[in-house]
Amino acid sequence: MDKSRRRIQRIIVQVIFLISVAIIWEVTAKAHVFGERSELVFPTLEAIGTAFIRNFTEGYANVSFWVYILNSMKLLLIGLFMGIALSFVLTGFALMNKVFYDIYNLVVSVFDLLPGVALLPVVIVMFGINPAVIVFLVVHAVIWPMSRNMLDGFKAVPRIYVEAGKNIGMKGMKLLFGIYIPATTSYIVSGMKVSWARAWRGLISAEMIFGIASCPGIGLYINQMRTNMKNAEMYATLIVIIIIGVVVQYGILEPIEKNTIKRWGMTK
Amino acid sequence: MMNKEIALEIKKLNKSFLDENNEAEDILTNFNLQVEKNEFLCILGPSGCGKTTLLRCIAGFEKCQGEILVNGQQKTEPGIDRIMVFQDFNQLFPWKTVEKNIQYPLKQQGIKDKAVLDQLTSEYLEKVNLPGIQKKYPHQLSGGMKQRVAIAKALALKPQIILMDEPFAALDAMTRNKLLAEVQNISKTEDCTFMFITHNIQEAIVLGTRVMVMASGGKVKFDEKNTIEHPVTPASEGYGKLWKRLHDALEE
Repeated sequence: MDKSRRRIQRIIVQVIFLISVAIIWEVTAKAHVFGERSELVFPTLEAIGTAFIRNFTEGYANVSFWVYILNSMKLLLIGLFMGIALSFVLTGFALMNKVFYDIYNLVVSVFDLLPGVALLPVVIVMFGINPAVIVFLVVHAVIWPMSRNMLDGFKAVPRIYVEAGKNIGMKGMKLLFGIYIPATTSYIVSGMKVSWARAWRGLISAEMIFGIASCPGIGLYINQMRTNMKNAEMYATLIVIIIIGVVVQYGILEPIEKNTIKRWGMTK
Repeated sequence: MMNKEIALEIKKLNKSFLDENNEAEDILTNFNLQVEKNEFLCILGPSGCGKTTLLRCIAGFEKCQGEILVNGQQKTEPGIDRIMVFQDFNQLFPWKTVEKNIQYPLKQQGIKDKAVLDQLTSEYLEKVNLPGIQKKYPHQLSGGMKQRVAIAKALALKPQIILMDEPFAALDAMTRNKLLAEVQNISKTEDCTFMFITHNIQEAIVLGTRVMVMASGGKVKFDEKNTIEHPVTPASEGYGKLWKRLHDALEE
């Protein structure tokens, strides 16, 4: 009883907060506090709403906004998948081989600190202006935090699980996939959260810095709206970016968490 | 005595650990032991006497010098013929249900038939008086239940030797007594040799068909068959005497 009341209370508070922000926004917009620039800084909610719809119905230069979204998501998913797969392979190998562990540990520590966007000039020289650059940046955003989490996680695997595994004759890859990886799930899930957030930011930043005509993405769209002073559309695109983030958070990451570490009692 | 089969034979076992100054500290020196098939050997001893190390050497978790023979075959690696039941309640895999925890090692042994696996699972869960908990996750069980599942998991593998390292030490007295009775019943029906470490003299007398006391350095100070008639209670004939002798051996 108490728990559900607390939940209702939380929802009411959050809804009231959002409505208040909307009202303040609208009043500020209508009051033209920024004078001439007001329409650009604070477009009215109606303007943002119609821009939101126009984004999808008209798009920009005869290219639907859906195309931009799908392009971004495609590159993001390819990068995420490659990054996560590589993390599994490399950390798995690091677990088996001490020399590789020492090297990989150093590499992860160094590259984890390097913002992907800072690598852009080099990567562009390497790949040219094409979608591979974006994928590279997403992989870069994913692989290091993911590997760091997994390396730390492997170290924290209770000895008793490993011994219980060895006791029933498990060795090598079986031990890795049967014991180490499931026992590290909470680290893997938190690694995925960090990786996803970094990848999403990195992707939008890279797309804003240089647009790829053959594969236009959401970041490029924002930039095109900016250059055309279509600020209502810009805000509407920000809302889309937030919505995608929320969908991934609550539609993908939370169910993963709920079906693994929460179900197994590895977290509260 | 010659006609009894030997399940486990340990010859000239030496084990030392490096202390923080990198000097070797001998835990077991020239340790010899023979355990008969289906014997229930209880090992008592003060902390640090090497009894856990002995069990870990037998299980194959520690590198050591000397010979460890199970049914005459030398063992240097862990294997399913020697299953360890730990003191730690967290020895079950939290990411698997009780059923999967029991079946996983069986699958590793090549048993793939679902009907056989399910049958073995319910059979051994019933042996430890926990029928119907197949679908539960370990975190939903109490400490005593987890230990029982661990025992069921060990038994289902039909090992030659079950190594128990104070499995009930962290349980309350009532649960512990219940589990002792269960283990005793199981040990009579299963074709399996038990080695059971404990700090508790009563536990050793109730369970053991043979009781051993170890002192530091792995010296054996007491090693006798337990002839008290089962079921053993503190009122059994000879209980007090044996208790006193074990107590004295531990005190020395």
